[in-house]
Amino acid sequence: MTATAPPSPAAPRPNVQAIGTRRRTTELGLLVLSAITILGAYALASLGRNASLPADILPFLGVILVLLIAAHLAVRRWARCSDALLLPIVALLNGLGFVFIARLDEQLAGLQATWTGVGIAAFIVTLVVVRDVRVLQRYRYTFGLLGVVLLLLPLLPVFGQNINGARIWVAFGPVSFQPGEFAKIALAIFFAGYLVERREILGVATFRVGPFTTPDPRQFAPVLVAWGISLLVVIFQRDLGSALLFFLLFLVTLWVATGRVVYVVIGFLLFGVGAFVSWTQFSHVQDRVSIWLDPWADPSGSGYQVIQAAYALAWGGTSGVGPGLGIVDRIPFDETDFIVAIIGEELGLLGTTAVLVAFLLLAGSGLRIAKGAGATFGTLLAVGLTSLIAFQAFIIMAGVTRLLPLTGVTLPFVSYGGSSLVSNYVLIALLLRISDQSVRRAPDPLAAL
Amino acid sequence: MRRQIALLGAAILICYVALFVKFNQIQVFQADALNERTDNTRQLQRDFNEPRGSIITADGALAAFSEERRATLRYQRVYPEGDLLAAVTGYYSFGLGSSGVERSYNDELAGRTTALKLRELTGFFTDTSSEGDVVLTVRRDLQAVARDALGERQGAVVALDPRDGSVLALWSWPSFDPNQLSSNDTAQATAVKEFLDAVPQKPLLIRAYQENYFPGSTFKVVTAAAGLESRTVTPAAPDYPVVTEYTPPLTRQGISNFGGAPCGGTLFVILARSCNSSFAQMAVEQTGPEPMVAAAERVGFNDAPPIDLPDPARSVYPTDFGDVVERPPGRAPVTSDAPKLAQTAIGQNDVRATPLQMALVAAGVAAGGEVRAPHVMGEIRARDGSVVERYEPEVWRRAFSPADAATLRQAMVGVVADGTARNMAIPGFEVGAKTGTAQLGTTPPRSHGWMIAFGGRPGQEPTVAVAVIVENLSGATAETGGSTAGPVAREVLAAALGAG
Repeated sequence: MTATAPPSPAAPRPNVQAIGTRRRTTELGLLVLSAITILGAYALASLGRNASLPADILPFLGVILVLLIAAHLAVRRWARCSDALLLPIVALLNGLGFVFIARLDEQLAGLQATWTGVGIAAFIVTLVVVRDVRVLQRYRYTFGLLGVVLLLLPLLPVFGQNINGARIWVAFGPVSFQPGEFAKIALAIFFAGYLVERREILGVATFRVGPFTTPDPRQFAPVLVAWGISLLVVIFQRDLGSALLFFLLFLVTLWVATGRVVYVVIGFLLFGVGAFVSWTQFSHVQDRVSIWLDPWADPSGSGYQVIQAAYALAWGGTSGVGPGLGIVDRIPFDETDFIVAIIGEELGLLGTTAVLVAFLLLAGSGLRIAKGAGATFGTLLAVGLTSLIAFQAFIIMAGVTRLLPLTGVTLPFVSYGGSSLVSNYVLIALLLRISDQSVRRAPDPLAAL
Repeated sequence: MRRQIALLGAAILICYVALFVKFNQIQVFQADALNERTDNTRQLQRDFNEPRGSIITADGALAAFSEERRATLRYQRVYPEGDLLAAVTGYYSFGLGSSGVERSYNDELAGRTTALKLRELTGFFTDTSSEGDVVLTVRRDLQAVARDALGERQGAVVALDPRDGSVLALWSWPSFDPNQLSSNDTAQATAVKEFLDAVPQKPLLIRAYQENYFPGSTFKVVTAAAGLESRTVTPAAPDYPVVTEYTPPLTRQGISNFGGAPCGGTLFVILARSCNSSFAQMAVEQTGPEPMVAAAERVGFNDAPPIDLPDPARSVYPTDFGDVVERPPGRAPVTSDAPKLAQTAIGQNDVRATPLQMALVAAGVAAGGEVRAPHVMGEIRARDGSVVERYEPEVWRRAFSPADAATLRQAMVGVVADGTARNMAIPGFEVGAKTGTAQLGTTPPRSHGWMIAFGGRPGQEPTVAVAVIVENLSGATAETGGSTAGPVAREVLAAALGAG
């Protein structure tokens, strides 16, 4: 094949091929770096705790390599031209989380390893099944319905489980999971599909209020519906974090689709009203706010968790006390919601900053995929999925550091939790699919770089 | 759409920058403050899982050490001497915090001082730990003498070396057993603490330096010093009238001598006989309020001594005696609170002193007028026995001029030679002393018995100063202090001097 040969529409263009190869090579290299980092952290944490290398270090290395190589080969086979950064960052976060879970509770670590395996299997299945994201657009209402059903599932009398004050669990026999984690992906697909279809109408400003033109008030109905669903989640499931996340997801997608700031303004006003009314009406919301304002009002009771988190972070200081050397067992839910506090204690500000940077890179890659996706559905879906991860990580870390009131959500990929891990792997697979398609379809592949 | 995506990226970036700032705030800028909060037991938990240095008395007895246990907390603090050294070592408890040397020398014991850390670094490859041992100036044998002499009576004993401020003995009764409070079984320790807190005699309060009492007649040494300093009193004059009581201006309430006995004379005589009337008259008519306040503050009143133990109490001398109402020629100005001034001259009214402070008064007289900072730490040793830090003596106060100190010393020696403290005499040594009987103003009369003293080889600088208080005795006569606190003070002094 000569350099001057015109690209044939039938075969992949040669530079698409080249981009794919280059990206996969980069990904492989970065994955090796991630694996080395995880292995090093695992060894250090064991040295810190027992002054000896972990007995299972070789099997551990083997499992990491098998999982990462499986994921990498799947991407190479089914999404060759996709972004090279996502998988290595996810691997790093997941591995780092695993090291700290193993350091806190070995039994949970075994479960987390299993869930990681399931997550990567789900990741591969997603890549295999979803060969074209536009297929998802076709089933947008199905996904919308699925999302709402999943969201409301825990309210069912038999299956629904009330764990730690939030009714967000569903149990089928011995397996219990949080359907909300999967609902968020279904809803992201629904929002993207719905808004692609309606963006023209929603974006037109025909209604005049004084000097401003805004869209017809009737077009605000979807905003109100999303807001209502979020409120229902707050009221019946007591899950403030997820409610906030759903609402943010919808607002962000709507705003990106229409470019109308007024939706954001109205949305935040509605959010303010909802938050205020919830605060006046529900004691669990009031508790969260008063803990946020002054945890030391009840240091051994309601404020205990965030105070201990602050002490853990402060104890870590700039460079941390070292993996395995922290004083753990003090923070309730340290392996789920509060894992960043343990990372901050043992790896210090350097560790927490690394986590922040990893999530920023993830968000940056996601948004770059969104920008590069030629089709608007792909763009909106990428925006929605990226926002989910970026804001979920922000919400929980802001809660742990008392930047915002604490709302219990997991730190994606890092926290212990099967539902969260599996759903987030599916989410990443979808982002990779969008990325892959945008490169293949781009009229000038170089523009997509 | 591209614009919105860029803006969304910016919004996410702002969120994460805010998080970064917040992490910085908690992990760097507020980290020290958070680590030092009292409800934050992380520092403590780390300390309980690392070896900790021992506390050793000047005569080589082990006062406190850490014993390794197979438990959640790796080390349990043990005090082999029980309650004997509790006033000095304090306790070291996981749930209750710490006190005494355990608290004031925590960094040294835990090995966190720069000097100890540097030593650890130089031995980097030889697995040395950095914890330091605190060697006290306090002597176990002297402490035992004080304990046995005071017995079951409530009170305190302080013995110092006036030459450098070393505390040789610091005993308080009731005392407590630090082993119980330091138990790593937090529930048990808490129960013991609650019990001790509920005891009316407050065993956890180290009376020797944390409690204030009327100093009674022992304060006359300070009144005499104020007179000498104001240049209105000399050993020769005035010659106070032999009377049964002195009535200050502006009142009809006289200040009477013990037992209504007539008493008076020149400085040495009135100190030896402890004449209330004469010292009241001296403060009101010769010295006056301002020089009295100045003299009291020069020996350390109205300030806490810089002892290296936590929470020393301030001794108190009133600073306000009202406005001048009369300026009689050739005498000190009379202020509206002259009757109060007269009472403070004999250590009553609003005067309060810790036993430590009164020991420092005796030490100041013994050391030519300089009050040296009291301390219980002699040196800090590393685990290999080498001395890392030695206590550097320092002067806390210049209380008296050398000439006045010499006069006071002679006067106090006179109290032992021919006065109320004759029972303090130790053959072969020069001893000066002053008794005190602080009336509590109760009916029937009750009082605190006091004795302050110093002793040494004749013609040389005294080497020991002591203060003893025996609290809340029945009766209040001139002899009360001398006969109760006196024998305790003498035994401790004799033992400290090596006089058997």
